[in-house]
Amino acid sequence: MHELSLAMDVIGLVQREAVKNGVSRIEEILIEIGDLSGVEADIFEPALRMVMKDTILENAVIKIDRIPGKGRCDSCNLEFEMKTFFDPCPHCQRFTSEITRGREFRVVSMVTA
Amino acid sequence: MCETCGCGNPDEVNIHKPGYDHDHEHPDENSHEQAYSHEHEHEHDGHWHTHPHEHAPKKVINLNMDILSENNRMAEWNRGYFEGKKIICFNLVSSPGSGKTSILEQTIRNLVSSYKIFVIEGDQQTTRDADRIEKAGAPAIQINTGSGCHLDANMIHSALHKMEVENNSILFIENVGNLVCPALFDLGEKKRVLVISVTEGDDKPLKYPYMFKSAHLCIINKTDLLPYVDFKVETLMNSARQLNPELEFIQLSAKTGEGMDEWYSWLLRSFEDHQNLK
Repeated sequence: MHELSLAMDVIGLVQREAVKNGVSRIEEILIEIGDLSGVEADIFEPALRMVMKDTILENAVIKIDRIPGKGRCDSCNLEFEMKTFFDPCPHCQRFTSEITRGREFRVVSMVTA
Repeated sequence: MCETCGCGNPDEVNIHKPGYDHDHEHPDENSHEQAYSHEHEHEHDGHWHTHPHEHAPKKVINLNMDILSENNRMAEWNRGYFEGKKIICFNLVSSPGSGKTSILEQTIRNLVSSYKIFVIEGDQQTTRDADRIEKAGAPAIQINTGSGCHLDANMIHSALHKMEVENNSILFIENVGNLVCPALFDLGEKKRVLVISVTEGDDKPLKYPYMFKSAHLCIINKTDLLPYVDFKVETLMNSARQLNPELEFIQLSAKTGEGMDEWYSWLLRSFEDHQNLK
């Protein structure tokens, strides 16, 4: 259950960026969470909502963009959808694929009030 | 509120040396900028009017910032500190009860006469592990995470301010026993050592893939119990290799000492390689 600690990191990051930009309130925040990032969006979102209280993000709309996992096979170079780390290449059945998408966990943007 | 589980308080993180009264330190809090509220009063003496209400136009600020970047930045700082002082740092991760502390005790007893060894211990409560390590002969510092479930790079940074780790030494960080959360937090280590014991089941890579994916070495401990449990070493190795083809394995028993020499060789090879880095 590391999602709450990560939610608090988001608050810190947003507060710092808001100060840099001379912004006093955020109305909306867009966060990308990859399906292979190790962060559970269903746990992260309520955690973030909880720690937003009494911060610059209070009452902000949280938008979460889920990024599906993708891998590229080391052998045949095929790019394919990966739901878990254990998905083999559908063409050659090898497990040694490089993950090309789905490990994202970042604040994409915020909308000022 | 606890920065990890929500059931405690970040102030619960304590760092103490065995035998000393514990003192209490917490890293700089982020300054909380107050969202300012503006108030405006206007009298309405019985009349009605509309008035234009100017607001600054909404603005989209693009950030594209990695949320783990804060931890990663501090981990890089720790890594730079270790490189500068030629300290090799190992992050030991596992479930609770896999035998991390026992492996460290044996390792210290065997190597402390020839190598400088330091240990940072992470547990929710007590200094029991740091006490055991000091008894075995290495200086140790205990981080108590309170209700927290993992160590982060900032806690290691604070611990390094409390314990002077000498140049050209080996530093072990014994993480909180947990196969989930510590996987995501780089501490600045050179290598991550995952300890699995044969009483835990050979399906651990399927259940906790992030940890297996991020490790450099997998120690399979308590091999003296293999005759009594349904643990197939090959099954564990095969599924772990699917995730992480580079992962190395060492089978040992910290209790009987079997296989410990292979671990010492791996350890000292890593140490020598690190010393020879320009």
